[in-house]
Amino acid sequence: MNKVSKKRTTIRAKFLLSILPILAATIIVLVAISAQLSKIYLEDMSIAQLDSSITNQSDNIESWLNKNLEFFSTVKHTIETTNPDEQQLQTIINSTYGYNKYAPNGLYIASTNGKFIKAAGSDQKVSNVTGEQWFVQGLTRVNMDYGTAYQNENGDFVVSASGILLLEGDDTKVISSDVDLNQISIIVNSGVKMDGAKAFLVDRYDGTILAHPNASYVSTNLDDQTGTFMTGVAEHVRSRDYESTTIGKYYVDFKQITGSDWLLISYVPKDLILSNIRNLTFILIAVGVLALLLVGVIIWLLASKLFRPLSEITEDITRMASGDFTVDVTAASNDEIGLMAEKMKEFIGSMRHMISSINAESAKLKDESENSNRVSESMFNASQSQAEAMQGLNNTVDQLAVAVNEIAENATTLAMVVTDTKDNSEQANISMKETVEISKKGRDDMEHLGTAMSEIKSANQELVVSIGKVGAASEEITKIVGMIAEIADETNLLSLNASIEAARAGEAGRGFAVVATEIGNLAQNSSASAETIAKLIQQVRDLIDDVVKQANSSAERIEENSELIHAAVETFDHIYTTIQTSNDQLEAVVNNIQKVSDVATNVAAISEEQAASTDEILETSKNMVEHAQNITSNSQDVAANSNELAGTSQTLADHVAQFRI
Amino acid sequence: MKKNILRRILSVLTGVALVGTLFTGCTSTKSSGGSGGAKILYVETDDDDTFRASLTEGIMSAAATYGVTVDQVLTGNSVAKQVEEIQNAKANGYTGIICRLADVATALQIEDASDLPIVFVNNQPDDNRLKDSKYVYVGSPEEDAGTYEAEFVWNKLGKPSSVNLVIMRGEKGHSATEGRTNAARNYFKDQGVQVNIVFSDYANWSTDNAFNYMSIIDKQHVAYDAVICNNDSMALGVVDYLNKHGKADIPVTGVDATADGCASIAAGGMDFTVLQSAAGQGERAVEAISIMADGGSISSVAGVTENGKYIWVPFEKVDASNVSSYQ
Repeated sequence: MNKVSKKRTTIRAKFLLSILPILAATIIVLVAISAQLSKIYLEDMSIAQLDSSITNQSDNIESWLNKNLEFFSTVKHTIETTNPDEQQLQTIINSTYGYNKYAPNGLYIASTNGKFIKAAGSDQKVSNVTGEQWFVQGLTRVNMDYGTAYQNENGDFVVSASGILLLEGDDTKVISSDVDLNQISIIVNSGVKMDGAKAFLVDRYDGTILAHPNASYVSTNLDDQTGTFMTGVAEHVRSRDYESTTIGKYYVDFKQITGSDWLLISYVPKDLILSNIRNLTFILIAVGVLALLLVGVIIWLLASKLFRPLSEITEDITRMASGDFTVDVTAASNDEIGLMAEKMKEFIGSMRHMISSINAESAKLKDESENSNRVSESMFNASQSQAEAMQGLNNTVDQLAVAVNEIAENATTLAMVVTDTKDNSEQANISMKETVEISKKGRDDMEHLGTAMSEIKSANQELVVSIGKVGAASEEITKIVGMIAEIADETNLLSLNASIEAARAGEAGRGFAVVATEIGNLAQNSSASAETIAKLIQQVRDLIDDVVKQANSSAERIEENSELIHAAVETFDHIYTTIQTSNDQLEAVVNNIQKVSDVATNVAAISEEQAASTDEILETSKNMVEHAQNITSNSQDVAANSNELAGTSQTLADHVAQFRI
Repeated sequence: MKKNILRRILSVLTGVALVGTLFTGCTSTKSSGGSGGAKILYVETDDDDTFRASLTEGIMSAAATYGVTVDQVLTGNSVAKQVEEIQNAKANGYTGIICRLADVATALQIEDASDLPIVFVNNQPDDNRLKDSKYVYVGSPEEDAGTYEAEFVWNKLGKPSSVNLVIMRGEKGHSATEGRTNAARNYFKDQGVQVNIVFSDYANWSTDNAFNYMSIIDKQHVAYDAVICNNDSMALGVVDYLNKHGKADIPVTGVDATADGCASIAAGGMDFTVLQSAAGQGERAVEAISIMADGGSISSVAGVTENGKYIWVPFEKVDASNVSSYQ
């Protein structure tokens, strides 16, 4: 990773760089929207709270005013209904002293005739009764009501509740009671229900400030005030615009106190609400930043986890790029990265296999190119020596040509000598053949004699055979005669038996007995004839045996002659064969001489051709010398090429050596 | 702007709530046939007052115009009775309420008694009790009545720089009393006229009270240039007193243009009155409640304020010149 260019960045960094700004933007927008909405809601809420507060206050003031007024009215009503005399009236007035804590001096009564009745304990000072504000205002109503604020002769700021007391008499009496403005201020400000809010009370017709948290404002006129806020309020009061509003740095709300001329003004500093909004915004931002950090860290961790296999693969690929194929890719995940790793693994496997093959091949190539180098060197050497050898051969062939020419001349001479020898030996051959003819004739005659001897011999043998046949026939006759003798005997017996039978038969057989006796006679005759014949044949046979003996001895003699003849034939054969052999040998000599003649002739021709061939050879060997020289230069080129090849294969080997497998 | 957004959010929420209401079973609303068949309960204290009698008449005649059924109940001044009637209203098939409050302070109880929309008449509740197209007040702007009276008096007297004034107020705490009186005083203040209030008290709408107060004033022998009354009844008492004491030329003004008031003007007694149109208020009240009963917005009703809480039916000025048309 460090090896790559510095501009290079990881996919995780890219991912984080793209996702984190979006995340940050989203959170910023969320925080901004939240803050803005919170601001709106908080403002509205604050105004509503201010409204609620001022309503509560005005209700408090109203009920406080009414409570006091009811007390005063009750006293007034009592006086009117009881119609007391002066004494009783004083008693009633005295009893009101200190009864109501908000009007400690109690009630007091004044008449148009200048009479003034006040409680015994009252410290009220009155100099001009009919000129008093409370008296003048009291004359304008029968029901007691609050008038405007004023400073009494004791120096206190008060508001009087006064009204006409309906009693008998010519004069008109006014009954009145004072409530302290300070007391009203307390009531006003104690009724505030909102933190930081303040309120003051004004007479909406004359602008007198009846109550204010700052006592110095009390009884001054609103229209006389300075400052943005007070003049703003005064403007609103003048124009009777009592809607809640913003004046200067304050939210302001107005409320009329029913049954009086009073207007309650409540205000709260905007800063108070804005500081809440600021706090909230700060918290929102803090939460946003925390969320951003947290989510950022989570995303970072997730991204790390997700992309770790990828960076491992990247490292592996980087190592591979630098030629290291010994990396062991682990394919742990089952996603695309896992698949990538798996395929990488396969790729590395095939690469390793391929590189090792290339390695082996390049080594081989290197060896072979070195071999080739050597071979081409030796070839160069060989071709050089061949060229030299060819040069030598060239010279040799030159000399050879001279030698062959000499052989040709000698062979021609030889051929002439042989021709003479051949004529002499042919003469000898003819003489020899005559000798052969004669010896052959002698042998043929001998052979004719042999043949005649053989014919005699065979005739003799035929004679023996014929005699043999006669012997055999006589044998046959002997046998037949024997059989006739036997039959004659049996017939004789039969004739005896028949005679006997015929004797038995008596008369009847007599004829037959005669016949039988005849037959017996005949049989006896036959037997006697047969014996005669047998004796004759025996004589024949003895004669034949003599002939055969004669013939056999002739045959022996012929045999002896034949053997002598055969020996003569063989002698003749030897002679003939010997002569024939001599003849053949002589012919062979003649033939050989012929052959020598032919050979000599051929040798002469061949030598001439050879002489011509040697010229061609000479030419050829010259060419060969040139070729050999070419080969030499070529083998030099080959040597250079194979050197180059050796270098290339070295380079290849070096390159391949960069890959570690 | 913020309020507009809030109002929109509120109106959306209200719309959602209303749609929800439709689904949760307002079958009675649907079965009654929409606005044409809306059934309205009119909760009234009494019809003793001339104006309230006219108002009731106006509401009843408008009911026919708008095709709704209006049932009137009189509760007297009993808040409990009013609450009870309204609590039962929904069960009895009513889809809207017209109410004359016995006590303005009880507006919240009246509203909480049911979820039906309410049109308040005659007696105006506090502004924060009102809600756009849900709790609406139909009336006439009380301030206008007071302003018209003061304007008439000042012109009648020839636009003097100072005025001695007698004011006869109505009931203490009543919205009309406060509104009319304050408006009259404010009118003079705005004109830069010095007002010397000779007398100002609550005559409780009563002719006799007004008459008595006039005698008390005269007992002191103080001068006054005009008498401004919060209504015609009191003005008639004042006129009666003045006529009897030879002061008929003092201008006397009232509010309501009642029959007696108009007759007095025609006879040269009272000088001026303003008509709070009972018929007009009745009609607007019925129109508003018939829309609200269907969950609609009253923004199209004549005289509605921007915030949708009030429907103002303007006063009409009545003096000798035009009194004949109101008799």
